[in-house]
Formats: sequence, C-alpha cells, structure tokens
Amino acid sequence: MTMTKQEFLASAGLEVQTLEFWIEQQWLIPEQTATETNFSDKDVARAHLIQDLKGGLGVNDEGVDVILHLIDQLHGLRHAFAQLHKEIQVAAPTRE
Amino acid sequence: MRNPYEVLGVVPAASSADIQKAYRKLAKKLHPDLNPGDKAAEEKFKEVAAAYDLLGDAEKRKRFDAGEIDAAGAERPPQHFYREYATSDGGNPYTDSSGYADFIDSDEALAEFLRRSERARANRRGRDLHYSLPIEFAESIAGANKRLTLPDGGTLDVTIPPGLVDGQILRLRGKGAPGTGSGGPGDALIEVEVRPDPRFTREGDDISLELPISLSEAVLGGRVRVPTPTGAVTMTVPKGSNTGTIMRLKGKGGPHPGGGHGDQFVKLKVVLPKGPDPELEEFVSKWDKGKAFNPREDGTS
Repeated sequence: MTMTKQEFLASAGLEVQTLEFWIEQQWLIPEQTATETNFSDKDVARAHLIQDLKGGLGVNDEGVDVILHLIDQLHGLRHAFAQLHKEIQVAAPTRE
Repeated sequence: MRNPYEVLGVVPAASSADIQKAYRKLAKKLHPDLNPGDKAAEEKFKEVAAAYDLLGDAEKRKRFDAGEIDAAGAERPPQHFYREYATSDGGNPYTDSSGYADFIDSDEALAEFLRRSERARANRRGRDLHYSLPIEFAESIAGANKRLTLPDGGTLDVTIPPGLVDGQILRLRGKGAPGTGSGGPGDALIEVEVRPDPRFTREGDDISLELPISLSEAVLGGRVRVPTPTGAVTMTVPKGSNTGTIMRLKGKGGPHPGGGHGDQFVKLKVVLPKGPDPELEEFVSKWDKGKAFNPREDGTS
C-alpha cells in the first residue's frame, strides 16, 4: 500500500521538517515519481523505529545514522542468508 | 500483566532517571528491530515498553501508585516493526550488501550464492512513472497524437487510441525510470483525463447531441450541419420534425472494441426566433388549425 506525504505524516506522527531532515539523511528513501513522493507501510515502520531510537532509547542523530546503517547491513545479510538457506534446501533436501 | 516495576527491574521507590536508565538498558537488548531474528523479543519488548509508558510518565506513575489505573491501562496499540518489512523482498532500497561484500570477492562456493543475491538487487527494474494527460472529448473519440512534457524537460509521445474513456491508463513500456544493471527500465503510466464537451454526452460507444433547429427547418425540413467529434457533417431534417425527434448518424460514435463504430444520436430541439416577431404572431393568429390542435389532449397535462 502506498500513501501520500500527508498521509504518511499523519500515520507516522511526524512534523514535515523532521521528515525532510530524515529524507535528507537518507534514513527514509520514499519512492519518488515524476509528480509526487509515495510512502509505503515499510517506511512507516522504519519511521517508528527511528522514533523509538531517538525517543525512548535516547540515541542522537549520529547514533541513528550508525544504527540504521548497521541494521540495513544486517537485513542485507539476512536476505542473503535466507536465500542461501533456500538454495541448500533445494540442492540437498533434509534427510529423514 | 506483570507489575511494571518488576518488568523494568526497579524498586517502586526508583527515581525517574533510574526508570529511564532501566528501560533503555532493556529496550536496547529487546527492541525487535535490533533483534530481527528473535521472535520472542517482540513480546518482551512490548511488555517493557508498556511498563515504561506507565512509569516513564510522572502523571501516569502517580495514578498507578495510587491504584487509580492498573498495569493493563498502559497496553500499547499494535505496532508493526520495521523488521517485518525489511527482509520481505529483494527490491528493498534500504538493504545494504556491505555486510558481506568481502565474501563475494572470495572465490568459494558460498560466494556464488551471495553474488546471486546481490545481483537480484543490483539488476532491479526501474520504477514506473505516473503522469496525467488531459485531452479534448473529440480526441478521445477520434484518437490523437499528443506530446507530454516531462518535469525534467524531456518529452514523451503518446498515441491516444480512438474511443478512449476518461480515467483510462495508457502504459508505455520502457518509458519509466531506468533500471540498474540488466534490470530494464520501468513503464510510463499515463492516466488520461477526458475534458467534457458541453455539446456531447457519451454512453458506451454511442454519442448524443442536442441540435437546435429553426421552426421553418422543423416544418419544412432541410439540410443542417451537425457537429461530430470527427468534424461537422450534413444531415437532412425531414419535414414535420419536432422537438425530441431523434435522428441517428450511423457510425459517428466511438469505435467498438471488435471493429465498427457506435452511432451519434441527434436530438432535435425546435427554437423560435429571439424576441417577439409581429409577422410570426400575425401568421399564427390566423392559423385556425394550429389553434385547434391541443398537444395535451392525450392527458399529458
């Protein structure tokens, strides 16, 4: 599901300046079309993560930057690992 | 629900700074997005977060201590964590391969798997770009060639097929954003908006039009010019035509999907000359048969 910038601001509970800063930092990478910016549920969940980090966990902007970068690497790894796992299952099905 | 002090592992007399410290310590360990593979983390984190919602807010904590609200009062609305989306597909713009890029450079069997995973992301098809294009009613029936100016200054030639309807989306393959690697470009999706023409109404492939005619054309018949979406044509109005008489111009409607065309229906409307006309008044007052005719005789009124 995609949503407009306004819908996104409402569902993530963000100020527009905050959002612009986050996009500038590439913490959020919404889909840009020729005429508008579209956000997905994934972006909302990611915004909640950033809010948790900055709010409850007391992480500053530099910290958020580092954490997101590591999380993105972690998910890259998890994705690669999941595929590897799938390929191994195909190549050598589990014996009884 | 457990006692929130127990959940956070603090004594009921703890200061708010201690409570925050305890929460941060637990949340760092338990936040589901910091533990993407730990299914149990989510439940634990929710409990900790709910406890902190209650005790981290001085007002709520006071009410809880006074027994006005219980621990369940702090239950959080369900939250979707980022990790639910992060590994769902390979086309994730956030995912980063630098966590295993060094393995790819190695020449082992493992590297091949990883490389494939990397390629799936690298060869991503470009995005579809959305545009909107307004056209005239006549163009929607007859078809047209339009040129769309893009925000980046480029242009896109769009062929409007005959018979297009308002809101229809045209897909121009490969005219979207460029892809990466061997992933081809996306498509351009053009939503066509048909500007209404006050003269015409369209129903399926048929078009209707109301055509004003003069009294003498109605009585005596004659040839009149009729606008159609593909240009004006000449039509014969038969003698004794009336307001409401419907004439059919065969094949002047929109095209059928399977070939052929719909029709244009022309509804005649007799219009008297503007302003009082002494000559007409004199003529009608002398016309006894006309005065004897009562169009309401059949009970219409």
